[in-house]
Amino acid sequence: MTDRTRSDLRSFMKQSWDEANDFDPADPMAGLNRSDLAGPQLGRRTVLRLLAASGALTATHLLPGAVPQAQAATGGTLRAGWSGVGELRTIDPAQINQVLLFQISSNVLSGLTHINPALQAEGDLALDWEVNGDGTEYTFNLREGVTFHNGDAFTADDVIYTYQRSKDPEKSIHSRVVANIKDIEKLGEHKVKIILGAPQASLLVKTLERSSGRAMTIVSRGAIESMGLSEYGLKAVGTGPFKVTDHQLGQSMTLERNEAYWDPNRPGVDKVIITPIIDPEPFAAAMEAGDIHISGGNPIPPELVDRFESNPDLVTSIIPGPGFQGIFMNPWRDPMKVTDFSKPVEELKKEKGFMVRLAIAKAIDRELYIRQAHFGRATPAYGTINPAMGYYYDDAIAATSEQRFDAEAAQAMLAEAGFPGGEGFPELRILCTASTRRDCLVIKNILKKNLGINIELDVKDFPVLLDEFRAMSFDLCRLGSGGDFDPDDGIVDWIQTESKFNGRDRNKDEMPFGWFSDPEVDRLVTEQSVTADPAARKALVQQANQISSDKVAQAFLYHPSDTMVWRKEVNFPDASRIPGLVDLDRVTLS
Amino acid sequence: MTLYILKRSLGAIVVMWAVATLVFFMLRLLPGDPLAAMMFDAGDPAAADVLRVKYGLDQPIYVQYWRWFTLMLQGDLGASIYGSRVPVSQILLEAAPRTLSLAFLSFIVAVIIAIPAGLVSALRRGRPVDHGVTFIAFVGLSMPDFWLGILLILLFAANLGWLPAIGYVPMSEGVWTWLSHLLMPAIAAGTAFSAIIARMVRSSMLEVLKTDFIRVAYAKGLKPNQVVMGHAFPNALIPVITVMGIAFGLLMASTVVVETVFAIKGLGRILIEGILNRDYPVVQGAILAVSFIFVFVNLLVDILYGVIDPRIRVQG
Amino acid sequence: MSATETVQRRTFAMVVRRDPRALAGAVFLAVLALAAIFAPWIAPHDPNAMDYMMMEEPSALHPLGVDDLGRDLLSRIIHGARVSLFVGIVTVGIALVLGVGMGILAGYYRGWIDTIIMRYIDLQWAFPNILIAVYLVAVFGTGLLNVMVAITLAYLDDFARIARGMTLQVKEELFVQAARSYGASDLLIMVRHILPNILAPVIVLATVSVSNAILAEAVLSFLGLGVSSDTPTWGLILSEARSFISRAWWLGVYPGLAIMLTVLAINFLGDALRDHLDVREGANL
Repeated sequence: MTDRTRSDLRSFMKQSWDEANDFDPADPMAGLNRSDLAGPQLGRRTVLRLLAASGALTATHLLPGAVPQAQAATGGTLRAGWSGVGELRTIDPAQINQVLLFQISSNVLSGLTHINPALQAEGDLALDWEVNGDGTEYTFNLREGVTFHNGDAFTADDVIYTYQRSKDPEKSIHSRVVANIKDIEKLGEHKVKIILGAPQASLLVKTLERSSGRAMTIVSRGAIESMGLSEYGLKAVGTGPFKVTDHQLGQSMTLERNEAYWDPNRPGVDKVIITPIIDPEPFAAAMEAGDIHISGGNPIPPELVDRFESNPDLVTSIIPGPGFQGIFMNPWRDPMKVTDFSKPVEELKKEKGFMVRLAIAKAIDRELYIRQAHFGRATPAYGTINPAMGYYYDDAIAATSEQRFDAEAAQAMLAEAGFPGGEGFPELRILCTASTRRDCLVIKNILKKNLGINIELDVKDFPVLLDEFRAMSFDLCRLGSGGDFDPDDGIVDWIQTESKFNGRDRNKDEMPFGWFSDPEVDRLVTEQSVTADPAARKALVQQANQISSDKVAQAFLYHPSDTMVWRKEVNFPDASRIPGLVDLDRVTLS
Repeated sequence: MTLYILKRSLGAIVVMWAVATLVFFMLRLLPGDPLAAMMFDAGDPAAADVLRVKYGLDQPIYVQYWRWFTLMLQGDLGASIYGSRVPVSQILLEAAPRTLSLAFLSFIVAVIIAIPAGLVSALRRGRPVDHGVTFIAFVGLSMPDFWLGILLILLFAANLGWLPAIGYVPMSEGVWTWLSHLLMPAIAAGTAFSAIIARMVRSSMLEVLKTDFIRVAYAKGLKPNQVVMGHAFPNALIPVITVMGIAFGLLMASTVVVETVFAIKGLGRILIEGILNRDYPVVQGAILAVSFIFVFVNLLVDILYGVIDPRIRVQG
Repeated sequence: MSATETVQRRTFAMVVRRDPRALAGAVFLAVLALAAIFAPWIAPHDPNAMDYMMMEEPSALHPLGVDDLGRDLLSRIIHGARVSLFVGIVTVGIALVLGVGMGILAGYYRGWIDTIIMRYIDLQWAFPNILIAVYLVAVFGTGLLNVMVAITLAYLDDFARIARGMTLQVKEELFVQAARSYGASDLLIMVRHILPNILAPVIVLATVSVSNAILAEAVLSFLGLGVSSDTPTWGLILSEARSFISRAWWLGVYPGLAIMLTVLAINFLGDALRDHLDVREGANL
């Protein structure tokens, strides 16, 4: 980044922060009513503005769900099936690398914040918080009287212990998540100050969040020291609504109600038994027979969803899921070679390599592709920002992206690039894994039909695929991301020149960048990550998303749906229906 | 006898060492970085480098081998490097009962079916029963075990709903629950084994029935039942036991496959998942455990055979 | 070698004529081989052509139904026969040549060659072939070539063991001694005198091994360790079908049936050969 842009950025940040503060601090509720707070779009913005304006966010009093509600605690045992997994390897947040695991840890451990169904942050172990003027210092009042499952009291020391543990890459795999935190100061037994290196828009929704970030999911020092790491991984001790009472690797995990949970109305059931079930067929059989009440784990295979939907004993809930999937195209290889993405799209469209890239992206009829490859259970994707992010998602992108389906235009482009009807087009290899193989067969079929080109499947084990992906030794690579809750997850991680998977192990002499690099996108992405005002951030996020879509950073395919299934006797309130998560604390059985 | 057992045991240990060493080096030649894969969702490639140093995967391969080998001699098989640091010994100890339960039950089911079938077949040689048994044995031997598993699930779990299609439940949760989960896998894994044993019992019985010893028994005026069960059958069993030992390998191999079909997290499943994730310590541990079971069973059969038939000892 | 070939042909004809099961097996295999060779002409559809009508029941148009991607199952099974038979025959063929070679060398020369080869055989002997194939694919990686190498290596030791044992016997026979006294070279003795005389059990073993190799390929594909390009193999078709079986039973039943019938046919043939050539039961284990 040049000095000029850096100073631009600083003044920009200042301005946006001032705008966000443009409220009457005396009355944070000015002009807002409950419906403002409940709406999925205004909600986030309102809360953040409130936060900035009042300097004292008391989210627990404002947002639905966090308010202790009168709720009939009916008790009983809830049996959950975790699909597509053979064992629940660890729920130690420092080790969790899969969504299906933090779905569980979110029921056992707490963070300072927790996301709600609209992906807004609510207070969890934090009662409320204040932010300083430039957005670099957050002071949190912690909930008092909270105890860990082993009886230890929760204090500011635990926040600091967790931070120290997480920032050490030897102890946690999430050290990067807290990289922007410079220090955490203890201001009192139940008061901490988090000092940031730079303002960070995703702090509350990601870094401090108990599931998506995991780095600041509060762990128990006493338990880690007395149990040892591997035992802690199996039966982590936290402050969450449930405590683990039994867990053997490869078998069910038993959770029991935490009687000392800070919200006396939760959890609604006495006991939860989580059973990993790796195969779809046994999973479906267990669901239908009532052996399990509710689904969790890896996404339910779409081929089962119809079956569940037609079953009167089951409730199927489908919402947009947090993630995207696409095809990466190596810009350093013919015939899709593009060595400079910084030109305007119209300029790029005159280059043969770009024509091929765009032709491939445009030739994929995403509706038909989704129907065949995912049985209709997904949303067409044109960028990395997913519809679960609600507010930040651009509804119009399907119509505006250069990648929108148009077979004729794609054919014309391919012809102009020198391959009329696919003639003379080399056979490209697409890297995939056993689990994306079926999907790639569909793509192969579509490209053959619409462009007359042939691609060959190259099925590799995931670690090998990743090696080749990072070394940029592929023609096409079928990959994507899941668990993207904050725009940063989609764009900082995926479309910047310095993004972590953007050709990290490539030969840097031969390939100055990985699979995509555009200074304009880099600038927008960096800017949004320090922009506190949601509206301003949204504009930046969507702009970056649009450019990376138009310039074919990847040929985007789909955003997965988040499907949950439960039996009729399960009451799963909307307040717990958070994309990607399976929070069971508000669930009751009738 | 003691010398014989000692000699054989030593041989068995050498075989295990050779397998473990081969696997160790061959695994390291495989492409694919387990840590990078693990860090994909966690999202911090730099942390993968730190972990690589921490787990010693950056060291020269002979250093890694020596460390692994010396630790193994002390009973430390290391810890999983994918997902969490669960000790390999713990993983194996939890998985072994599942695999052994399955193998044991398969064995029982197979023998219960095979011995009467083989006997009847031999006693009714050339009759329709014999042809029927032989034909069924052939079909059993030709049926892919995993396919049989799928068919059983289709029929008994999906259509009839008699048996659970899912996984494994330890015996501590009730013998019937345990059994009901293992019944279909045991049949799937044991069928080929059963076919081999049935054929072996048949031919062995036919051999014995031809001998003078049996003719004498008949001549003495013993009843056919007494001759068959009291004289012929015990003698016919000796060769069957050797074959059982060899065929037990087949049974174990079947359990590896059948575990996948029935989602039982046994040694086979652990081995295959370990391979797919490049979880070196787990793969090494699982291969060691599976090899141990084989070598141990072979050894046991040899010794048993030696006890039954002293001639072997002299040759050994 | 021509004399041996005639003997083999005669043997085969006799075996098949005598045993109705062997006849049925031979006819089935012949039909299958023809179907495999002429698959592109026989298969009613392109095995990889997809359609948006997915998981359609068997009908006149699609006699065995349609799979989860709208592909014709019958056509896929016919094309799958190509790979399955190819893998079975080629792997066993190579294992036979290498294994018998090793076995004859070991048995003929004894000494250090024998020691090395026997150590290797003993090592593999401790494990069932299918597991060895799994180990090997684990270290070689997946894909058609690797699967074939793994299966070949897994079955090598069986041939070496039998060939060695038989060579030890045959070596002491009078005609070998006689040839040696004429000053025949070692190579000549091994090829002209020993090889033809150890072939009977090797042929029986090869027959059974082909069926086992076909099963091994299916198992590896099913475990996700096998052939995984877009070439259909029976194991792969089954493995792909796994998630859809309860909605489309035909996807689970027919590919498995194809495997079973083929293996059964080979086993019938092998059994008849064994009886005819008077090879003892234990030889194939």
